[in-house]
Amino acid sequence: MLDVRSVRALIGGVGYPDLSDHSLSWAVVSALEARTLPGGVMVEDVSYNPVAVAQRLDDEPADDPFALMVIVSAVSRGRPAGTVTAYRWDGVLPPDGEIQRSVTDAVTGIIFLDNTLVVTRHLRSLPADVAVVEVEPLVEAFAAPMSQPVADALPRVCDLAVRCASDASYLATLPMCGLGGPRVEVTHG
Amino acid sequence: MCFKNLPVEFDEAGRATLRGGIPNPYAPTDTRPYGAPAQLTNDKVEELLRRNGYLQSVDFDPVTRVAGALAFHTVVNTKERRVVEARSMATLFRGYEVIMVGRDPRDAIFITSRACGVCGGVHSATSAMAIEMAIGCCPPPLGVLVRNLALALEFLYDHPLHLHLLAGPDYSAAMVGPTNPAVLDRARTFEAPGAAVHGYRTMFDLMTDLNPLSGHLYVEALHMTRVAREAYVLICGKYPHPQTIVPGGMSSTITQTVMSEMFVRLSQFFDYSKKLATIWDDITTFFYAVNPAYQQVGARRAHLIDSGIFDDPSAYDATYATAGEWGDKRWATPGAIIDGKLVTTNLHHINMGLEEFVDTSYYDEWVSTDQHSRYPTDPTGKPLSPYHPWNKVTKPRPQGQNWKEKYTWDTAPRWDRQAMEAGAYGRLWTTAVAQKLPANPFIESTGHSLRFRVPKGALPEMEMEWHVPAVWNAFERNRARAYCTVFTALIAFNNWRQAMDIIKDGDLRTATPFEIPRTGEQLGVGFWGAGRGFLTHHLSLERGAVSNYQILTPSTWNASPTDRWGQPGPYEEAALNTPILEETDDPKQVKGIDILRALRSFDPCMPCTTHIQTEAGITTREINTCACGVDD
Repeated sequence: MLDVRSVRALIGGVGYPDLSDHSLSWAVVSALEARTLPGGVMVEDVSYNPVAVAQRLDDEPADDPFALMVIVSAVSRGRPAGTVTAYRWDGVLPPDGEIQRSVTDAVTGIIFLDNTLVVTRHLRSLPADVAVVEVEPLVEAFAAPMSQPVADALPRVCDLAVRCASDASYLATLPMCGLGGPRVEVTHG
Repeated sequence: MCFKNLPVEFDEAGRATLRGGIPNPYAPTDTRPYGAPAQLTNDKVEELLRRNGYLQSVDFDPVTRVAGALAFHTVVNTKERRVVEARSMATLFRGYEVIMVGRDPRDAIFITSRACGVCGGVHSATSAMAIEMAIGCCPPPLGVLVRNLALALEFLYDHPLHLHLLAGPDYSAAMVGPTNPAVLDRARTFEAPGAAVHGYRTMFDLMTDLNPLSGHLYVEALHMTRVAREAYVLICGKYPHPQTIVPGGMSSTITQTVMSEMFVRLSQFFDYSKKLATIWDDITTFFYAVNPAYQQVGARRAHLIDSGIFDDPSAYDATYATAGEWGDKRWATPGAIIDGKLVTTNLHHINMGLEEFVDTSYYDEWVSTDQHSRYPTDPTGKPLSPYHPWNKVTKPRPQGQNWKEKYTWDTAPRWDRQAMEAGAYGRLWTTAVAQKLPANPFIESTGHSLRFRVPKGALPEMEMEWHVPAVWNAFERNRARAYCTVFTALIAFNNWRQAMDIIKDGDLRTATPFEIPRTGEQLGVGFWGAGRGFLTHHLSLERGAVSNYQILTPSTWNASPTDRWGQPGPYEEAALNTPILEETDDPKQVKGIDILRALRSFDPCMPCTTHIQTEAGITTREINTCACGVDD
């Protein structure tokens, strides 16, 4: 099992500014930037063109790249609002046609968690180990505050992201899933 | 006299007036605009469908997905292998015009930037120019030059992206093989004329490297977008939504070091653009040689419009009154081209000829029956139509789709009531023909071509030439876009040299302080351009706030619907003229690649989906380019 405490890990947020619940990742990044994080753990917003995210990851030193990436995002998947899920992404890519569509979406400005995962993996830039923390949003509206269920989940999401990035034994308890992850609430962390 | 349809005439001194004796001179008549084609009426198409087994009924999904903004509907005659009906549908209402009303005009720079996920900076700059015209604020020379450079760098991101990530795969071995195996076979032995430049011995080698995901040209284009983006960030701070573009210039700090670092990136495009242009020369040559009918793919009348870009800091004063003069001094000359002939380069004439119609769009008419308009003339007294953007009121009216009535969120912009096309190629064409290019060591406008001297890189210095094409079609659009990369890189080089001279002279000012007037009423327009061509923002201010804001993007022109005269929009017209050249006699196997080539050659500025129904059912193909949608 990977001992993430001895390697570098990146917590990345994927979302939108000023878009109510879809700004959750921005709030997480902002909150974690104000914290003292465990050694080797960095936090960054990666809410931009996934091809550029891949290129940014490629800039890491070849002899000491990130071994783990924890990606946090609010994604609508039909779960109850505020549901928090966490999983290790199995890294299985969709068929080539879907990847091509993802690259097209990426370079044309579409920002979406699954797209970021697919494109950065396809370009072989994503660390081998990837954990995803998702929250089910309720409201999508410009300049509106987060809904109560999502706002309530924020502290837990922050803690969960840090724990995923710094606690190898905890990470090992998360299910290994394809894109979209599990449908059920994470019950610990 | 540049207008054949509008009721405007010019006296000997060039003053424009309305033709006399017409009660409502701009009231649309029943007479179709001069020379305009007409699409079959939907009633006629339905009748043909009923009695002709070779016509394939066409259907499409409503495109409701997040990325969906355009759908395209065709009826195909599989026996004659041609398209008999084409309808372009923008399925997304963005409403920037509505969002902007009542706001501080400075908000427009940041809000309208979000109209596009790729070329946000061009909207910011166009907005800043509209504001600076309205408030009377002119940027200092370095501000103008840096704005030019920023625009050029956005194009150097855009053009490779389109050519090798979006349009390129249509010409790749992976795509051509299944639809046209004989063409691919011919490619195996067809020696590429430009092998010495791009390194591919045969067209098969080249087409293989165009393959999506795995092809070297695809991967290389991804890398080059990074190079352009890095250069952009050095002078603008952020991409694609910069915070440094302001009325009166740029708020970024520009030093010799910044410019030197930027040049390291820019100079990589000298060799890359030589390669791009040569590749697209070869693709065009090959397909024409294999089957001359490819010259009909995406063919339409050469009706092009461009607002001109890249200002001369000694000419640009940000006023409307002198727009005719500073427009002519631009590195890319503004112009309207009708049937391949340049009819004006004057920004006042271009502005006067603009109208937007909503007869087939999901909007309510805003022009009353008495044709009253808020601004019957422009600020210099030249007549304006009630349908002009300064007079337009955006009145969205969502409703069901109906081919006989309304079917799109796009409006029908027309110039002199003609369906004009916007694109990178428009600026190439107008600049080549107008011969108004500033004196410089790298680009020459000959009246029928543009000659380029591209500096040495790893490749030797090269003389290149783009010729005004004899036919106007999908291949020529792509070829011109590739040459526009050469053009853009060299304009950037010229502007970089000028900027370095100014910096060395110690004038580091990039912006002029300004205040938003809190009283009165002001008009402004930003005449600028996106990678895909023509871009204007028209605004009016009242007591310091935006009272009207209208955006005309390239795709508003290109994706426009059939208008009240039955005149198809450019995508529609190009599809109607496209033969089905796939090598199959089985209608079930038709994939619509030729129609897709036609559409993609415009570099559609919206995620769009074409659904072509054959006997096998609905065929769906994504035509995604940038996320910039039609802005109404």
